[in-house]
Amino acid sequence: MTNPAEPDEPDRPAAPAVRPFLRTPGSGPAYAPASAPEPAPAVPPGEQPASLRPFVITSGRVAGQDAGIGLETQVSALPGATGARLSPEQRAIVQLCGEPLSVAEISARLRLHFGVARILVGDLRAAGHLDVHVLENDFPDPETIMRVIRGLRSIS
Amino acid sequence: MDFDPYPDRRVVGTARVPGAPQKTTPPVPVKIIVAGGFGVGKTTTVGAISEISPLTTEAEMTLEAVGVDDPGPATAKTTTTIAMDFGCVTIDQTLKLYLFGTPGQSRFSFMWDDLVRGALGALVVVDTSRIDDCYPAVDYFERAGLPFVVGVNTFNGQLGYNLDEVRWALAIRDDVPVLQFDARYRASVRDALLVVLDQALDKAMRMRSS
Repeated sequence: MTNPAEPDEPDRPAAPAVRPFLRTPGSGPAYAPASAPEPAPAVPPGEQPASLRPFVITSGRVAGQDAGIGLETQVSALPGATGARLSPEQRAIVQLCGEPLSVAEISARLRLHFGVARILVGDLRAAGHLDVHVLENDFPDPETIMRVIRGLRSIS
Repeated sequence: MDFDPYPDRRVVGTARVPGAPQKTTPPVPVKIIVAGGFGVGKTTTVGAISEISPLTTEAEMTLEAVGVDDPGPATAKTTTTIAMDFGCVTIDQTLKLYLFGTPGQSRFSFMWDDLVRGALGALVVVDTSRIDDCYPAVDYFERAGLPFVVGVNTFNGQLGYNLDEVRWALAIRDDVPVLQFDARYRASVRDALLVVLDQALDKAMRMRSS
């Protein structure tokens, strides 16, 4: 009785998720239901799949074993790493990392929560599919900072 | 698709040793945090200098409720998911600068060690009409010992208060720079980031000499 002009309520809950333009064909197999570890509990059919609770993909784990993996940590795929027994999300990560990529970019492009992306990256590293370049020093050294300064100065 | 046949120059190391120095492939990432309240121009700042249009990632942040509507000790700490816009600047083939724009909600002090670990420093973006929005960020960076710079975003070339007044309101140490910049212009953002980097360089020198 409020809105007779709306036939079948097209307004989605629109999870406050990553921007929609990232949903392009070819880059978004992240939620294909092929081998979901558990049948995602009670996802209503009309709901946007992005609202699936993120840590279902990691079988409920919220902490990975690689505490050193940060947002900017670079990840690259190892040769011959296209295993068949990967989950769709894992396969998407491996495909994305042909060029070195940060975990934050993986998370953004695959529309995965950062915490989820970090756990999956850690798993793939343990399985030998990814090279994860964790840096050992906490704070960059002066030479590195000088290079950043010079690089920024050259931007006009 | 984006399949890459692994050109020879990029010899991907096979040793998965944490922290192994690699001279070959991926760039060394460094990061600067761009913090501030809602709508002060963090994403504009990132977008002005980033070579990619800003991407968004969602991540957990630990919140500690403080102040007026503190519901009590039982719920003092919560986690919430925040959306973070980020961008990057390729310095050269072996060095890449990331900029992470992170919200600091007022009435919450946030703690996020993932974000700060290894960061060069932070630019705290301030809108003088809502200056208290940046207090949590300032608090946090002070406690974390991260070099930071307060950048007053002048949307219309106008400054509601002068920089000394902003410094007074924030009660920050004298060695924390307070500057004025315009988040819409690349050169202005670049100059603000250079001040952050100066602070980072000071810290790196101190760490080396000690």
